[in-house]
Amino acid sequence: MTEVFLAGVLGVLFSIGTYLVLRRDVVRVVWGISIISQSANVYLVTMGGFDGLGPILSGHGGGGAAPTDPLVQALVLTAIVIGFGTTALALVLTYRVYEEHGTIDMYELGGSQ
Amino acid sequence: MSTLVIAPLLVALVTAILTLLVRPSDILQRTVSLLGSVAYLVATALLFDAVVLPLGSESDILVYQVSNWAAPFGITLVADGLSAFMLVLSGLVSLLALVYSIAFISGYGQRLSYHPLYHFMVVGVTGSFLTGDIFNLFVWFEVMLMSSYILVLFYSGREHTRAALNYVVLNLIGSAVMLVAIGGLYSTTGTLNMADIARRLAEPAAYDIALLPVLGLSAVLFSVFALKAGMVPFQFWVPAAYRAAPAPVTAMLAGVVKKVGVYAIIRLYFTIFAAASVDLSFLGISGDSFLGFFGPVMFVMATASILFGGFGAVGRSDLDGILAYSSISQVGFIILPLAVAATAPSEAIAVLGVTASIVYAFNHGIAKSLLFLASGTIQDVVGSDQLSDLGGLANRAPVLAAGFFLGALTLIGVPPLSGFFGKFLVFQAAAEALAAGAAGSALALAVALAGAILTIAYYTRAWNQVFWGTTTDLVDAALPARWSLGTRGAAMTDGGQRELERLELTTQVTVVVVLAVAAIGFGIGFEAVFSAAEAAARAALDTNGYVDAVLHGPGVGAEAGAGGGHA
Repeated sequence: MTEVFLAGVLGVLFSIGTYLVLRRDVVRVVWGISIISQSANVYLVTMGGFDGLGPILSGHGGGGAAPTDPLVQALVLTAIVIGFGTTALALVLTYRVYEEHGTIDMYELGGSQ
Repeated sequence: MSTLVIAPLLVALVTAILTLLVRPSDILQRTVSLLGSVAYLVATALLFDAVVLPLGSESDILVYQVSNWAAPFGITLVADGLSAFMLVLSGLVSLLALVYSIAFISGYGQRLSYHPLYHFMVVGVTGSFLTGDIFNLFVWFEVMLMSSYILVLFYSGREHTRAALNYVVLNLIGSAVMLVAIGGLYSTTGTLNMADIARRLAEPAAYDIALLPVLGLSAVLFSVFALKAGMVPFQFWVPAAYRAAPAPVTAMLAGVVKKVGVYAIIRLYFTIFAAASVDLSFLGISGDSFLGFFGPVMFVMATASILFGGFGAVGRSDLDGILAYSSISQVGFIILPLAVAATAPSEAIAVLGVTASIVYAFNHGIAKSLLFLASGTIQDVVGSDQLSDLGGLANRAPVLAAGFFLGALTLIGVPPLSGFFGKFLVFQAAAEALAAGAAGSALALAVALAGAILTIAYYTRAWNQVFWGTTTDLVDAALPARWSLGTRGAAMTDGGQRELERLELTTQVTVVVVLAVAAIGFGIGFEAVFSAAEAAARAALDTNGYVDAVLHGPGVGAEAGAGGGHA
């Protein structure tokens, strides 16, 4: 059940992220990217499954519940750290764009040529 | 288990940190940076020596289990023929581009953070070549990209911030997609270790794996690698980013970083996912393995890249633009033989196709770095890279012109330059596939031929315009008579400054000449390059060897036995 709920959440998060990335405002694009990368993290946790209930050490000493896969948590932790770095860089870059061009409107910045 | 595997990684990492620590002293920082780069080349050469040599025999596979955690659980670093070959290319190009950057990047820029960033980029590249774990592949990609973002942004002018913004946003989305694909692969296959994935895909029933979702996820992953490699339809960031970055960084981006995408495609799709056999039929594409599905995809993308890049380059009016579009086209040439190999009817043709791709990637790494560096020097001296501003450089700067000429000839493919063999092998792979009756190989031949003609067209145009033709006023002002270094600019009266400038320009031209000599040398001694590339191709196609080395290799079994409690 949790998976189904999270799948819905993921759909919403990805669509919000995509919507924001397609905005004209550079700051919203950066928001969009961080939302997309966060939803990738939620996706990772969801992919790990929610079969187990106990914490990782509960099986020791004859404890009952099976543990949830801890590896995805480690992956997400790594991805969050990388996400922080890239978001910070993207924000600095946005500020830089504002300084250079006096605007953060994608249309006024023009195309890549 | 061999500690030699991590040597290139450690050398690059230590150099990156040292250059950060010795930042207060210019001379010390440059010395450390240069020595580190030399040490990196030596480390890659030693690894190559241990893995591939003696040439012609089977290449070895060296495995390093980090912290002695046995393969499917710990992080694994693997050096086989393919990794070692790519690492040597990276060592060569990164050293030469670094020497060039010391003479090219302004003193202020170098003091700022150029050297640590450069070496962290090399760390990321090395890690991507060596890792045996798909999540770590993502991490190393990020290390490489984070540094490249800032290096693309290095000049921080109006154009550069805009190009860098596109580059950063695109790559961040690419990273998120990559993470999603990797998460999905973990969920469907139950492991992140590449060798373990291959083993499980070979027996899907035993591990309860549904192959079709894996195919879909690997297709998502493919789009990320295609983005990194700059293939059509993911090519649009290439021209702006290449124009924005400083010349030596562009040389690294085109010569090495792009090859990481190509390497990832070869490693994952030919070594790992090729293990699966799947019965599918989708939009007329069918095959009994994943490669049967990816072959036509690669073919379409390669064809589009060759034609789009080729026509784009013919239409550009600036030198860097021509080189950037040419880069898109050349990546098509690297992927085309892979497409042939993916659908090849026999093992021999598959090996030939992958070999052709690797040889072409190697040539492109050398020649395109040469051309971007030569173009950087021209811009530095003349102050423009617009074709209309340039002319008559062959008289004024004969050595540089000769370097550029050799670079262009290498990419066009004139014997005895190494590029000839690259092109020749691409044609040979397509022709042998045609002779063996593979569908679409006649089309592959036609595309390769059209691409070759386009290459001749745009390099001839660039050559005629820039190096022949009448001398423009701008060139006249920059280079009054002959290639008299350091005498440009009337304001340059200070003798010491002039001497320094002369030294810097001589260094830049020397690097270009060294690369040109390398292109000739590898062409004349092509036998050795071919054997190494063939060993790399065999290693890339040898899924069982890879799985055995990583999961059951010497040392692994003993540790797995001793540390059985972990499992």
